[in-house]
Amino acid sequence: MKKGFLRLLPKTFSYFPVGGYEVGNSQKSLERGSGGRPFYRKVFPREKMLYSYNWLKEYIEDLPPPREFAEALTMTGTEVESVADLSSEIKGVVVAEILSVEPHPNADKLTVCSVRTDRETYGIVCGAANMKSGDRVALALDGAVLPGGIKLKKAKIRGVTSQGMMCSEVELGLAESSEGIMILSRDAPLGADITEALGLKDFIMDIGVTPNRADILSIRGLAREAAAVTGKGLREKEFKVAESDRAARDIIKVAIEADAPCRRYAARVVEGLIVGPSPDHIKTRLESHGLRPVNNVVDITNYVLLELGHPLHAFDLDKVHERSVRVRLAEEGEGLETIDNRTRTLRKGMLVIADPKAPLAVAGVMGGKSTEVTEETRNILIESAWFEPTSIRKTSRALSLSSDSSYRFERGADIENVARALDMAASMMADIAGGSPARGIVDVYPKKFEPLEIRFRIKRAEELLGVGLEESRVVEAFGSLGITAGPVEDGEMTVRVPSFRVDLKEEADLVEEVARLYGYENIPTTLPEASLSPGRPTALTEIRKKISGALVGSGFSEVVNYSFVSRDAYLLAGGQDPGGVVIVNPLTEEQVVMRCSLMPSLLENLRKNLLKKTGEVRVFEVAPVFLPFPGERLPREDWRVTGLMYGHRWDPSWNLPSEPLDYYDIKGVVETLLEAIGIIGGLGTMPVGDEQKKIFHPGKSASCTLGGKPLGVFGEIHPDLSKHFDLKGPAYLFELSIEPLIEAWRVVRRFKRPPRFPSSERDVAFVVNVDIPYGEIINSIELLDTKLIEKVDLFDVYYGSGIPEGKRSLALRITYRSPERTLKQAEVDRIHSRVTDELTSKFGAVLRGQAHTV
Amino acid sequence: MKERLEKLLEEALGDLEKSPDRSGLLEIKTRYLGRKGALTLFFKELGRLSPEDRRSAGEAINSVKARIEEEMERRLDILDEGHRQERLKKETIDITLPGRRTRPGRIHPVTRVLDEVEGIFLAFGFTIAEGPEVELDYYNFEALNIPRDHPARDMQDTFYVTEDVLLRTHTSPVQIRVMEKQKPPVRIIAPGTVYRRDSDITHTPMFHQVEGFMVDRGVTLSDLKGVLTLFLRRLFGEETPIRFRPSFFPFTEPSAEVDIGCVICGANDPRCRVCKGTGWLEVLGSGMIHPEVFRAVGYDPGEYSGFAFGLGIERITMLKYGIDDIRLFFENDLRFLEQF
Repeated sequence: MKKGFLRLLPKTFSYFPVGGYEVGNSQKSLERGSGGRPFYRKVFPREKMLYSYNWLKEYIEDLPPPREFAEALTMTGTEVESVADLSSEIKGVVVAEILSVEPHPNADKLTVCSVRTDRETYGIVCGAANMKSGDRVALALDGAVLPGGIKLKKAKIRGVTSQGMMCSEVELGLAESSEGIMILSRDAPLGADITEALGLKDFIMDIGVTPNRADILSIRGLAREAAAVTGKGLREKEFKVAESDRAARDIIKVAIEADAPCRRYAARVVEGLIVGPSPDHIKTRLESHGLRPVNNVVDITNYVLLELGHPLHAFDLDKVHERSVRVRLAEEGEGLETIDNRTRTLRKGMLVIADPKAPLAVAGVMGGKSTEVTEETRNILIESAWFEPTSIRKTSRALSLSSDSSYRFERGADIENVARALDMAASMMADIAGGSPARGIVDVYPKKFEPLEIRFRIKRAEELLGVGLEESRVVEAFGSLGITAGPVEDGEMTVRVPSFRVDLKEEADLVEEVARLYGYENIPTTLPEASLSPGRPTALTEIRKKISGALVGSGFSEVVNYSFVSRDAYLLAGGQDPGGVVIVNPLTEEQVVMRCSLMPSLLENLRKNLLKKTGEVRVFEVAPVFLPFPGERLPREDWRVTGLMYGHRWDPSWNLPSEPLDYYDIKGVVETLLEAIGIIGGLGTMPVGDEQKKIFHPGKSASCTLGGKPLGVFGEIHPDLSKHFDLKGPAYLFELSIEPLIEAWRVVRRFKRPPRFPSSERDVAFVVNVDIPYGEIINSIELLDTKLIEKVDLFDVYYGSGIPEGKRSLALRITYRSPERTLKQAEVDRIHSRVTDELTSKFGAVLRGQAHTV
Repeated sequence: MKERLEKLLEEALGDLEKSPDRSGLLEIKTRYLGRKGALTLFFKELGRLSPEDRRSAGEAINSVKARIEEEMERRLDILDEGHRQERLKKETIDITLPGRRTRPGRIHPVTRVLDEVEGIFLAFGFTIAEGPEVELDYYNFEALNIPRDHPARDMQDTFYVTEDVLLRTHTSPVQIRVMEKQKPPVRIIAPGTVYRRDSDITHTPMFHQVEGFMVDRGVTLSDLKGVLTLFLRRLFGEETPIRFRPSFFPFTEPSAEVDIGCVICGANDPRCRVCKGTGWLEVLGSGMIHPEVFRAVGYDPGEYSGFAFGLGIERITMLKYGIDDIRLFFENDLRFLEQF
């Protein structure tokens, strides 16, 4: 046996890598502030999305205050998990400019910088290397406070006084990692408070978006929802694009192949732009929403993604062959290097964007390296498309590649939002990157969007909700959500679902929309009318309670272990190799196969408890084991009750002898358990089978049956295993199947009248070979006269002085009784002598003396 | 004679009084009442008296005898009582030493809460049902309106055994299994072990849920509110604040999440770690059973309606006992288990 085979090997399997369509990070990976993961697990966990309150205000001027607004969203189904005040944690950090960078006299890796604000110049010791004179930086002065409650003081670093600190993104709480200090734009106003300069006077709302609401995965989408639930007006933005004379359709060619799962592919061209870093306010917004700034072009596509929710992709147009893109299905084995520098082998049927020579991007998932926007890029093609959600999802799963873009396409983007996203991006490219958008959009949109029509019956809604609804309020609710409701006739109306609400598919979905705007708190609380019928537990739940009660009475505490164990633990319990119910995607090597026995888990519980200096351990578990079921897809789930005891018969105490446990204690536990749950008699024992021989001492363990049917095993742990666990004494285990217990327990027992006639007892002591099992002797006696021998009790077993080697002395008390009359002395003597004859003739016993009582 | 008798009586009583123990008393008895005892001698004198005197003298002697015997009994009693008291005193033990006990085991806290939840719903007339833990994709997802390639599958990281056999991620498949076999009305709860591929301080790859549902004609969202309000108040106390919020589950429409007022801070601490200062704790997910689910089991969604709910038992247990680390439930440290 390998040493340590039950120890934890915390080897975690790698999770899917998370990449971005444009950038190599994802909003999903970021968690801000002290919130972290929720303290508990939801029935269905959510994706956390971050929303800037100020950004939302660009769409709704009179938005209620952040906390009030959060409450309104939460109570209508958009759960706001936290609201973080970005500026509250930063105090005394200002914009400053580096005048000079000199080496530190006493340290190689440090520099001494002279830094000025609008008023003063400071000497700052700095450990970073990414700055140069002229850079604008975030300077934390003496007394400043940074996120996490860090307070800054003047300090002497290697003999040079530092009057403050130049901050990195991490120190400002803007990012999870950063290289060197944060370099601000050249136009950041000197001396300005950093929270003003970076737009940090804002609240970030962390929202758990349910997967049906793809439409609120953006600022504009959430604003639309907010308008409906708060009754405030939504102010749409208009994006004016200063177009050049060159028509986009003369510059590029776009096509969708007939079998491609793409319903719309639109593109704009922007020429002559200069790629460089984005202005600070864009960077801050991206960072506060969990995206890492890359360059102005990429940042703008991400900015549009956050604001409008529509994924865009920018291609370096000069690297696109013939300036022609096609949306087509990949051929089996086609290769593509994606922007995360990995070469992907595409499978037939994956959707790609390709030029005449090769695939350029995995559609909706990730862009390709060859057309990536770099500092040399001058002309770009901006893609805005609508891909089928299932196609994107399959590809993303097959490539183990997920991005902010695929995330949204999978959930369903708004096909009518395609052009708006292009316009916003193009106008920003012109403003920020100095680009010149070509005239018009090349838009391949063969089949225009037709809204889904659903019949809505007010009466049905009332029946489902248990509340009366006014027609006008229903129509109004739909209206506020952008759902067009036709005229009401006989309490029915036809409802047209807008393009952004891909989740509304049938009447029940509309009932929910009405209910959530009506307010769940306004729906009455009633009790259902139902016919009176008692609730019934199952046999398993019932017997489980009885078993637990009995074992608790015997000093056993209940444990709950994972159902999956290591392969070694599985084999230890007699599992087949290979075999068992195996998890194909386990979290650790400790959880690879479903248990075929609960015993290894309990041994592990023992080991861990002994490490904690607990000397007395009695534990039990009730749980299923999983046994492959030939010919069936699902395994057989066999419920077991398993117990382990270790230590002494009694808790070591001042008034009880401290006797170690032995085999007969665990056997006694099993016998007591059966009686306690109401099963009297029928327990049979035999030596354990091969599959148990790794766990049990072969001479001190038993397989047991109940009424002749297999029930389980019990006994002393194998000495090798005991040594392996460094146990000071042996452990004792039992494992019983619950099904035979349920069967035996269901048998209706009949009343037996207590005997009316007196019994006669006779004692007999005899010496017999040790290898003759007691069970055999007693069976044989009982069969001699099943009518008059009422019971046989063992009252002494003796080895040692006076008894020859290889023999033992047994003493029995035999009770004789007739149900019909008082037995006469002579009658009893007669049967008893048959008993003693049987003992001597059949088992070679030598009688030691007899006594009798009447 | 009369004076002598009185003197004798006085002497005898004096002796009895002085006698320290039982044997002394017996010796006194012999001395006065024995065959040659002082009083016996008086009887012998009687023969010499006239019949009239004999009679009165006899009465006088007898009365003295009775008096001595009575006193003797009294003294014996006193001495015996003293003796008994002394014996009892000698037998007195240190009653403060610990008793000879068998230490009872404990029921796991998760089981305790499961039992409690089952008990409440049994009393409401819900029947318990069970289903397999290793489950078919169909029951765990497809029949619950979560088709393959549905993004909702991302929300539940699943352990797979084969492509279409998995460890159930919730107890909801029991809904399908029961409804496939049974026509409405049904009122069921299904407690059980579920699995998700997730492990950290707040998540264990295995945990416990109770699923419940009720289907009949005319079951409404307001009934759902009523039953769950009643249940949660039984579990957490009759004054517990409760609120229902819209939410999303693929197998219910409309869906509701249910919060109770924070039991840790009493909705009173803006820095409460458990409710994050909101004053509310989410305890269960619920909703009206989705028409697609009814269609999957052959119920007519036009005729029947029903509600379903699911709650995580570890979460409830943590709230009830103030436990802050879910992993404690599966470490099986006796120092933890023996607190329940």
